[in-house]
Amino acid sequence: MGTVIDMVSIAQPLFSLFPGNSIRLSVRAARQCLHDAGADHSNIGLLINTGIYRYRNTGEPAIAALIQGKITSHKPVLKVNGNSGNTFSFDLNNGGCGLLTAIEIIHRSISNGEISSGMVVTGDSEPFYDFSERFSFAAAAAAIILSGTSDSGGFSLFRTYSYPEYSDELVSRTSFSSRGPSRKGMNILNIGQKESYPDLCVDCAEKSLFRFLDETGQNPDDIDLIIPSQSPRGFANRLNNRLGRNNNFIELPETGNKVLHTAGSAFALKKVWDDHRLKKSRNIIFLTIGSGINVSITLYRN
Amino acid sequence: MNWKCQIESIGVKLPSKILTTNELLEKLKIPCIRKFGLLTGIFERKVCSPDEDSFSLAVDAAKDCLSFSKYRAEELDMIINCSITKYKNGLSHLYEPTFSALIKNSVGATKAITFDISNACAGMLTGVYLAEKFIRQGIIKTCLVVSGEYISNICDHALKNIRTSLSAELSSLTVGDCGAAAIIERTADEKNGLIISGFTTLSRYSNLCTGRQNRRTPGGKMKTKSKKIHEAAISESVPIIKQALDLNQLSFHDIDWLIPHQTSRSSIISGANHYLEYFGEKPGQIAVTLKDTGNTASTTHFLALYKYLNEKRFNEDDKVMLLCFASGLIIGVIIFKMNKIVHMYGNSN
Repeated sequence: MGTVIDMVSIAQPLFSLFPGNSIRLSVRAARQCLHDAGADHSNIGLLINTGIYRYRNTGEPAIAALIQGKITSHKPVLKVNGNSGNTFSFDLNNGGCGLLTAIEIIHRSISNGEISSGMVVTGDSEPFYDFSERFSFAAAAAAIILSGTSDSGGFSLFRTYSYPEYSDELVSRTSFSSRGPSRKGMNILNIGQKESYPDLCVDCAEKSLFRFLDETGQNPDDIDLIIPSQSPRGFANRLNNRLGRNNNFIELPETGNKVLHTAGSAFALKKVWDDHRLKKSRNIIFLTIGSGINVSITLYRN
Repeated sequence: MNWKCQIESIGVKLPSKILTTNELLEKLKIPCIRKFGLLTGIFERKVCSPDEDSFSLAVDAAKDCLSFSKYRAEELDMIINCSITKYKNGLSHLYEPTFSALIKNSVGATKAITFDISNACAGMLTGVYLAEKFIRQGIIKTCLVVSGEYISNICDHALKNIRTSLSAELSSLTVGDCGAAAIIERTADEKNGLIISGFTTLSRYSNLCTGRQNRRTPGGKMKTKSKKIHEAAISESVPIIKQALDLNQLSFHDIDWLIPHQTSRSSIISGANHYLEYFGEKPGQIAVTLKDTGNTASTTHFLALYKYLNEKRFNEDDKVMLLCFASGLIIGVIIFKMNKIVHMYGNSN
């Protein structure tokens, strides 16, 4: 049994002057996704949020529970029958690879027969406006609805490749600092990315892609489309140049000084969804990269 | 083939520094709380020293778990970190890279796939829920579910803000620090695998307990509508427990040990009374391990299991129910039969 993409939606702040609220953006993307898919929230058995930089650094409850709360009509759940009719939500963090890890978990749940459909939501924004250093990620969110199919199409092969020797190339953390106008101190989010990080990401992604093709017995010429992560800055462009895939490699134009983080590959997916290239392609590779360095790759077949 | 899985080993790391409830209450700006220890059943909790944090607790718990395990670190297929607090190097909250990737490097689990999850106090049981999915389909054979909670720092914020015994930050005084880890393994024993049931998020209650980082002071804060969340958890959990029991042709009486999320003694007792009223029967024993450690967030179930294993309280055939309640509101049930793990522990810690 395969798992197919039913719908993808994206959301960005309506006014560029405001920094954006990751939870509101995620809710907007999730609602739009349900609306466009003509689906009811009660059909979503599993809701996973994979955003990292969340509004006001909320730790609990899971952001996924808050999103679920905003898209649900809150019918009382008194009759429990398996997991059907109930939604289970949680947050997953795997850097830029979180989206594919969440898709794999939903795929496993659908294959096990536990749920019929699930939703992955991802959204990032600056947790507190102007309380960060080098925060270079655009406020953006995306939602993807997945469901089971009886044919062999959809997501099939998932692989993750790790390069732990590069774990200090991108480190983001909040630390208490006595800077700021009052000098009394505040928790500052600091994104520490080394200059070598984008190049290393390209090297790791290229190496992992060929390992994936080799391990899964795929011919590189049979790959019709590659949907990659859009961060770090310049990654997609450099990898495209390295692979020479040109139009078959979905690279979004860079806007301003911000880059799409966990939602980047979903934005690329939205582009090929809207221009129908996804449906016209037979073999599609999703390639995500994140700190660690981890590379997650999966094959999607139409 | 659908594989079953079981808990192969458990490890725990508790900080050595002790903070008693009396010491804590003495720090209150306005002395408005009495008999807190008696009501909650918490008389002390372990708290991190300056050289300890969520990460060190998680790594030490993982190493403790591996010391009891038949597996070596390099044999682990997956590591899921489930901490709510991700403090590394003091009260510095780490976002990237993931804790699980760093734990993998620290313990030498060279081939493990890693990711972090966050699901409030249901974190570790959600980790087991996910591990079971991968093991069931034969994708992996072993998974280390681990969590380190340096959560006692929320007391500092609460102590400055509690003015009455009705304060929303009162529950912040119940927490303590702990690291816990469990290896979940594939088993061919169809009768004794983990039964995972009813994991549900009742999101209409998601605003009853919220925790986040402070803006202008180190650490975090938590606000809880304790009475409302307790009432919701107890009433909503009844059909979920009933379903878990019915699906496995069990009655509540067949459960030898009920291990609920450890919040406070009065909540656990009132919950047990509610179940007795509804089911007309009760489980053999209900674990309450709050006295020395308090509410250790996502690690409470495995801390309780570890403690009772070391005290040799379990028999090989005992049926155990882990019941999770967490802000969200999350409810979930895991039932399993104790196995040879009972012989691995005892009076060593």
